[in-house]
Amino acid sequence: MSITLIRQAFSRSAPPRMWRKVPLRDEYEVVIIGGGAHGLACAYYLAKDHGITDVAVLDKSYIGSGGSGRNTAIVRSNYLTPEGVRFYDESVKLYEQMACELDFNVMFSQRGHLTLAHSDASVRTMRRRAEVNKLQGVNSRLIWPDEIARLCPHLDLSDHPRHPIQAALYHPPGGIIRHDAVVWGYAREADRRGVEIHQETEVTGLRVDDGRIQGAETSRGLVKAGKVLNATAGWGSTIAGMAGIELPMTTFPLQACVTEPLKPFLNTVVVSGSLHVYVSQSDRGELVTGASVDPFASYSLAGSLSFLEEISGHLLELFPCLSQVRILRQWAGLCEMPPDFSPIMGITPVEGFFIDTGWGTYGFKASPICGKTLAALIATGRTPDLIAPFRLSRFAENQLVGEKGAASVGH
Amino acid sequence: MLILDCPNCGKRNASEFRYGGEVHPRPPAAQQLSEAEWAHYLYMRPNQQGVQSEWWYHRAGCGLWFLAERHTYTGQVTRTWLPENPKSDD
Amino acid sequence: MTDSTERLAPQAGEAIDRSRSFEFTFEGRTYTAHPGDTIASALAAAGVRVFSRSFKYHRPRGLLCGAGHCPNCLVQIGDEPNVRSCQRPAEEGMAVKAQNAWPSLDFDLLSLTKYFSALMPVGFYYKTFIRPRFLWPLYEKVLRRAAGLGKVDPHSHGEGFSKEFLHAEVVVVGGGPTGISAALAAAGQGARVLLCEEQAALGGHLRFWGAQEALPGLLAELAGQPRIQVLTGTMVTGWYADHWLSAVQGKRLYKIRARSVVAATGAYEQPLLFAGNDLPGVMLGGAVLRLLRLYGVKPGHRAVVVAGDAQGWEVAQALRSAGVEVGAVLSGDGRDGAEGFEVLRGYAVAQAEGGRRLRRVVLADGQGGRRRLECDLLVLGGNWAPAADLAYMAGCRAEYDADRGEYRFAQMRPGFFAAGRVNGVPGIEGQRLDGQRAGLEAAGYLGLGSGPVAGLAEELRQLGPTPARAWVPPASGEGKNFVCLCEDVTDTDVQTAVAEGYESPELLKRYSTISMGPCQGKMCGINALHLCARARGLSMRQAVRTTARPPTVPVSLGNLAGQHLEPVQHTPIHQWHLDHGARMMGAGLWMRPEHYGDAAAEVRAVRQGVGLIDVSTLGKMQFTGPGVGALLEKLYVNPWRRLGVGRARYGVMCNDEGVVIDDGVGARLGEEEWYLTTTSSGAAGVFELVQWWMQAGWGKGAHLADLTEAFAAFNLAGPQSRAVLQRLTTLDLGNGAFPYMHARQGEVAGVSCRLMRLGFTGELSYEIHCPSGYGLHLWEALMEAGKAFGIAPFGVEAQRVLRLEKAHIIVGQDTDALADALSVGLEGVVKLDKPDFLGKRSLMRVAGAGSQQRLTGFRMMRPGLVPEEGLQIVGRRGGKLEIIGWITSSRFSPTLGEAIGLCWLPSGLAGRSGAEFSIFREGELLEARVHLGAFYDPAGEKVRG
Repeated sequence: MSITLIRQAFSRSAPPRMWRKVPLRDEYEVVIIGGGAHGLACAYYLAKDHGITDVAVLDKSYIGSGGSGRNTAIVRSNYLTPEGVRFYDESVKLYEQMACELDFNVMFSQRGHLTLAHSDASVRTMRRRAEVNKLQGVNSRLIWPDEIARLCPHLDLSDHPRHPIQAALYHPPGGIIRHDAVVWGYAREADRRGVEIHQETEVTGLRVDDGRIQGAETSRGLVKAGKVLNATAGWGSTIAGMAGIELPMTTFPLQACVTEPLKPFLNTVVVSGSLHVYVSQSDRGELVTGASVDPFASYSLAGSLSFLEEISGHLLELFPCLSQVRILRQWAGLCEMPPDFSPIMGITPVEGFFIDTGWGTYGFKASPICGKTLAALIATGRTPDLIAPFRLSRFAENQLVGEKGAASVGH
Repeated sequence: MLILDCPNCGKRNASEFRYGGEVHPRPPAAQQLSEAEWAHYLYMRPNQQGVQSEWWYHRAGCGLWFLAERHTYTGQVTRTWLPENPKSDD
Repeated sequence: MTDSTERLAPQAGEAIDRSRSFEFTFEGRTYTAHPGDTIASALAAAGVRVFSRSFKYHRPRGLLCGAGHCPNCLVQIGDEPNVRSCQRPAEEGMAVKAQNAWPSLDFDLLSLTKYFSALMPVGFYYKTFIRPRFLWPLYEKVLRRAAGLGKVDPHSHGEGFSKEFLHAEVVVVGGGPTGISAALAAAGQGARVLLCEEQAALGGHLRFWGAQEALPGLLAELAGQPRIQVLTGTMVTGWYADHWLSAVQGKRLYKIRARSVVAATGAYEQPLLFAGNDLPGVMLGGAVLRLLRLYGVKPGHRAVVVAGDAQGWEVAQALRSAGVEVGAVLSGDGRDGAEGFEVLRGYAVAQAEGGRRLRRVVLADGQGGRRRLECDLLVLGGNWAPAADLAYMAGCRAEYDADRGEYRFAQMRPGFFAAGRVNGVPGIEGQRLDGQRAGLEAAGYLGLGSGPVAGLAEELRQLGPTPARAWVPPASGEGKNFVCLCEDVTDTDVQTAVAEGYESPELLKRYSTISMGPCQGKMCGINALHLCARARGLSMRQAVRTTARPPTVPVSLGNLAGQHLEPVQHTPIHQWHLDHGARMMGAGLWMRPEHYGDAAAEVRAVRQGVGLIDVSTLGKMQFTGPGVGALLEKLYVNPWRRLGVGRARYGVMCNDEGVVIDDGVGARLGEEEWYLTTTSSGAAGVFELVQWWMQAGWGKGAHLADLTEAFAAFNLAGPQSRAVLQRLTTLDLGNGAFPYMHARQGEVAGVSCRLMRLGFTGELSYEIHCPSGYGLHLWEALMEAGKAFGIAPFGVEAQRVLRLEKAHIIVGQDTDALADALSVGLEGVVKLDKPDFLGKRSLMRVAGAGSQQRLTGFRMMRPGLVPEEGLQIVGRRGGKLEIIGWITSSRFSPTLGEAIGLCWLPSGLAGRSGAEFSIFREGELLEARVHLGAFYDPAGEKVRG
């Protein structure tokens, strides 16, 4: 039992603040645009790994208001390409240590992740992923209906559904996490080390002079900086556009919804590519579920009825016993989708302006490794090998990453 | 659900249509473009919050492709129209 | 059996039918109910006070709101979890159980957590269970068990869900006096109106609250109004783009397209904040009046009433009429004791005391004076929050009016109107006028009528403004003061969270989980905002509300899914396949035969005799016009323009990145008539794409018809195929008259067909296309004609083997999103010197720079060992295994007696015939070697025969 809790229980004074509220200065060494898990992780690692603390993290709303607060909190590394697997595996390892490192329980539940295959083409892709994973040292294997039934007894494994389950990619280290806690944990630790977090501070423009970043214009005034990071997943093109840079992405809403709380019955994360649905049960007992991105580009965060209808239909195909379970709330986040379903990280043609974008439907699970590698880049000027495949210039070099095959539903 | 005004069929539910992406004309003299310019055509997009011109296909209806001006945040569609007649082959 | 001791004499306008009764059980005990009773009203009639245990502290909870908003009455009925028993009608034989209580509702062990509550403040789980790490899975198990409410039954099977579309010019949400008035006003102007009411009968609050005498008149006006469709028991659950509404009525989901919406949704009664405010026996005014008037149930024996407004007084009077002793009325609106009650002015509730039920209240006068009153019922009246969720979903904006103590609309969405209590208008006269105003505005918005007359606004003004009301801050007493009942969040928790830095209402919500439970903020949202603003020293106008999201009430997956139907497409031969033992497989939307029992035998039949496969699923495009040749030149990587009439050719389509997206064959049937096929799964996409290029610039002089479903198609393949076919046609099938890669049209078995000689399987073969209606006849005729030659039907699996023996690719299996036409090995097909085509620019780069990876064939060193598709090919670098390629197609070839396949390899390796490489499989390395070109009949003699 935590000493802190006991102390707090018997104390009369107010508990300590998680992050300070300080005035916004007019110059910093580094400005990070976007106070989500990526931006805050980067700030944390800048301070922790590189001793750079003259950093301001700016968010136009409250921290974690973007993708970090809207995702369905799935963490895994069972990707298709070797470079993808390596990257996300590093992230999973950091997640495993995160609660201890940040002294904040992010509730990472490595309960196992199942990606169901409903056709032989799908089985082929799952096997491909399993093999690539194994060769990178990541625990994944193909399993068959008898083992699927043991892991997930409520699944309909009969011949009855239109898309019978033939096999599944089983990834034991995958699971779910308390996504807001990741944001708060990083925010506190970054703040503790001197990083300034400024909420309700919207960036309205970027100052570029002679091909070099000068600073950001915000709703609270101009903030000068020699290094600026664009960590605004969903609005990456908007911010990059302020520096005159076009990115290869299109922004789509990604919807999700949650049911009323139920006693625990689903103990793995279940994903179906053919049925475009993924679902898990949170520690509070709610089913958290989502599907693929909306069919047309939009920046709107309103949900749709079609989404609820389709996802309900697909959930009931997988779990026919859930017809009386009720949806409590729906929402949406924004996903910027690049052509090769892989992020766009690193330097840009504008010197000192770094991007962390193109995060599609796979951004939250990469937060720790993303923060760490980008901090290294910002601090040293050298792009770490792990993220070199995700550079912006890869499009002009015709070196796209091959993740598209894995991402019919990118969860 | 959004209503789209198909220039041929009139107002229909958005579920009848397929989104075709931002208007992005194919460069006429592709062969003369540099690698960077060609990659720019293939991949880069404005992707801004605001009014954009885009393509829609009436999948469950007349099968025509048409253009629309829509605000990507408010969702308001200000107009829809058919593309110009196909040009001659050259 | 438990007696209904609290049932009163019949009440005027009650909802129950006392002439009949039936039995049901709750927690194993039997209770009686009348038709019209809800589960909760029947239980309350029998004196049940405790209905559930709360989420975190497992505190006993009783009826509070009576309106289906709060979580206190949630029960499990059989396999259905989380049922609001105050809304659900009781039914004979129902087996109702409490949720989240163990071992029983009366004695729940987990309520002992109250002794540890100091150690469980808001967000406690973020601060603990961190070390030791290995124990976290165990802690998590315990946490999960304690969480959750209802139970999922794995054998539960819901049925009978349906969906219906509705259209209306004006949808009025809410069938109380406001809504009825709005509907009448709009219909009066000629609008078609849909009126949706959540309760089982119209009337809204008039059914049990004040001015009930006005109800019959309103209902009479409504009856026989042909332009108004009324749906009762129907809850509008969401507003979506362009006035698209969802509504739920039992097991039916309505999807409604409205041209305008009037929200007459009323307001939510709000609890007050004081210690012990969650005890069974603390009830909102509406709950008390519903029990008294709709169900004839006495909610308690001795009551204290907080009358914040006139409606609160009405509750006190109703209780007294029902024989309930009213100990005191706390008055907020200055009425004196003339009505025979003891009135305590200036007093507020400091705390409520009791164990499993309310026993007494402590009142404070704000100057240190206290009164203790024994009671078993505390009625909270006079606090309301507009039920404006639907309006907020529609994008209407509201601002906090500090004088009125509630949110008022500041800006409405065009076509969305709000009226009545939700618009801040209390009282029956005001509501009727405001409803009328909104109905006329809606009609005017649609161009019907000219909107409300000027006099109407004046009448509304004369009724006076909404009475001023200040928010009642939390009282300071001993014990827990619950803000959020669903999640057991106290006001101390809120202050702690804000002090820790979770200041914005959104952060406060996510950290404390306030408003994240079943009520989604109906009971707590406003109180939470007040507390948050107060803790931060802000005014309510500065606090930003959390976003209202659909659904307004929880909706079941069954309702939303309806009768979930997944389409399947069949070819005309489908039944024949089934009758002949085919094992079917899904291929996209199509069902195709995978095999008929022995795929290897099917392969042998084709190689040695003749086989027939149903390829009706292929996409088929018919092009006509003078501009087709030029169009096809641009769409495909290969040439088309100069293809002679009667010739056929293999075609590959790439996108502008040079990536292969589809392949097929095409035949020139006439000067201006072309017939092209696509892959089965690619058909729709290719058709759309081709349409786009045609309409966007390249289609001059070309017309396209989609014949995919109009034509059936079969492939008659094998050395005997000519012999078989000749029996059914007078066409000259001689090799000179109808050579390889040619097309002909003619009659086969009396059916007009197109025939093409192609080579996918590597044997002499004829692909025969005919109109679908004749498909089965032609198929049967071919099978009959082939009998003497031992013809066998063959399926997808055999075809995969046959094409693999010829090293032919399958797009989407051997290619992926990065595979360009040159790297795939289609150099012979790509004509780079065409002036322009899709993919040319990118393919020129590949041609110049060379491919990094190439698709090539392979054979296994151990002939019987078949590596699975998807296995990775590895090389060694620096002592570690590194992936250098992967297997896309792999089969045992019955024809060659060994395992063969296709794979991606680095270019240098891929081009060296016989080069060896290793495949990684379950920790072992399997050896294989590169094979260039076809495995079977490399010279292609068979197809040309």
